[in-house]
Amino acid sequence: MFNLLRMDLYRMKRSKSVYVCLGIMLVMIVATLGMLWLVDTPQGQKTAVQIGMFTAEDLAEAGDIMAGVDTLVMLRQTSLDGGMYNLVFGIWVMLFVCMDYQSGFIKNMLVVHQKRWNYVASKIATAGIVSFCYLAAQYIFVLLMNKLLGNMASYSSLGDVLFYLTWAWLLTVAFAALVILVCVWTRSVAAGALTAVLLGTGAVQGPLYALLNMVHMGGWMKYTIYHTLDQGSNHYAVPTDLYVYVVGAGFLALYMAVAGIVLKKQDI
Amino acid sequence: MSTGKKSAFAVETRGLTKIYGGRAAVKDLNLRVGEGQIYGFIGRNGAGKSTTLKMISGLASPTQGEVSLFGKPVSDPVVRRRLGVLIEEAGLYPNMTARQNVVMKAKCMGLAEEKSVDLVLELAGLSNTGKKQVKHFSMGMKQRLGVALALLGNPDLLILDEPINGLDPEGIKELRQLILKLQEEGKTILLSSHILGELSKIATNYGIIKNGELMEQITRSELEEKCQDYFQVEVADVRRALPVIQETFPQVQAEVSDARTIRIYGLSEGVEVNRKLAENRVPVYASGFHHIDLEEYFLERMGEDV
Repeated sequence: MFNLLRMDLYRMKRSKSVYVCLGIMLVMIVATLGMLWLVDTPQGQKTAVQIGMFTAEDLAEAGDIMAGVDTLVMLRQTSLDGGMYNLVFGIWVMLFVCMDYQSGFIKNMLVVHQKRWNYVASKIATAGIVSFCYLAAQYIFVLLMNKLLGNMASYSSLGDVLFYLTWAWLLTVAFAALVILVCVWTRSVAAGALTAVLLGTGAVQGPLYALLNMVHMGGWMKYTIYHTLDQGSNHYAVPTDLYVYVVGAGFLALYMAVAGIVLKKQDI
Repeated sequence: MSTGKKSAFAVETRGLTKIYGGRAAVKDLNLRVGEGQIYGFIGRNGAGKSTTLKMISGLASPTQGEVSLFGKPVSDPVVRRRLGVLIEEAGLYPNMTARQNVVMKAKCMGLAEEKSVDLVLELAGLSNTGKKQVKHFSMGMKQRLGVALALLGNPDLLILDEPINGLDPEGIKELRQLILKLQEEGKTILLSSHILGELSKIATNYGIIKNGELMEQITRSELEEKCQDYFQVEVADVRRALPVIQETFPQVQAEVSDARTIRIYGLSEGVEVNRKLAENRVPVYASGFHHIDLEEYFLERMGEDV
């Protein structure tokens, strides 16, 4: 598995897509925080009125939208909670896995590695490393932007940052495992992309929640990757806050196991 | 990479069967490739060659039967490290260079030495492609890179499926020389090709597959014997011509090919046959020496059961 991981990391470092996806995430942060600056700071409001983006009345109605917002909330609002992160990250995972099939290089790998679990484990480990780098880079970027824009939000405590980023990371890796499963199963770029778009952004979970709520079962949707990522707590207060880790680890183990079984049964 | 213990067969399949959607792509295949052989695996498109080679490589699992490589199951991780494979098109990352593709495979195999990467690129004649990405390679260059990937790790058994596809005559010659050199080093090569003329220049053994069934396994000397030159005469009446030939030339072997044709093996001169037949008042419509090459032999075998 470590040989495959070394190979995957070698390829990952040389692929453009990993940098393009990071660029998209950072641009989204710049755009969102830029908007907040225009609405929330006196200098920004002045600029917004000057360029005709808002009227003084609009800004008065907006009130203090940054009340209670710290840097973690900023990160969540700009990237993770709405599903933008999983959408972009999921598309990267899809591109990374499907390329093995499209190029045919998977044959070279699986001729050497009879244990096909190694392939799935290596892909998930690579996704985990990339997600860690993405989350860390995004949070550092949020901190820098916050500083640059005049400390609009308060700074979260280190404990909260570690708590949030670890469970968010686990959930994003579980989502990557789902995308890997779909790609391994279907070998289709379209199916992988659809998974990233529909499940990453909550386009399926939303209507499903409404339907299940009709029979009073909507509460179960709290335990989907999308809703957990959206609703999980920023800081640890009570042991039940740890359910986010259980959801992340559970889905990760499930999708990894199914992907391994599917690949084992497939002819290449 | 060679291990001390030698097995008689580099590849041995027993009752190998693969069924897709109720249809058998490969049926009860018992293939034997001895160590050090260049085994030409021949069959029409869809005959089951690639499926067989995939099962031998462990890329597809048999519905029934077993595959042994060097006397051990194909699932044995040690034995798999003695295997180099190029099946169908060369699996290459198009946005990477030739060297990066080989480095990738080397990392996948756990090879630390950069020397082995340079060596296979040199062998495949791709050492000076520099930063050119694979997507800009010609088909022949891609194929050679596929061979380079298969050669990585100095495997004892090479499985090459249509390795000369897309190669120019120079490339084919180079690959032929490379295969012969590898055989001299004691490696076993199992290769399929549609270019039978080329295959016949290097193969020491042949296996013919038709509709998923192995019709025949034959050595080069056996094939040469079957493909020896013969003198063919077309006569009005084979029943009268055959005894004349057999009596006049007792040392040769004559066989009736069809109602008007007789093939005579082991004859060096044809004029005497025509003269004797004319003397015995057997009209001869046509005569001449013929040679069966691998292609004709293959087509003949393919046509047998139609």
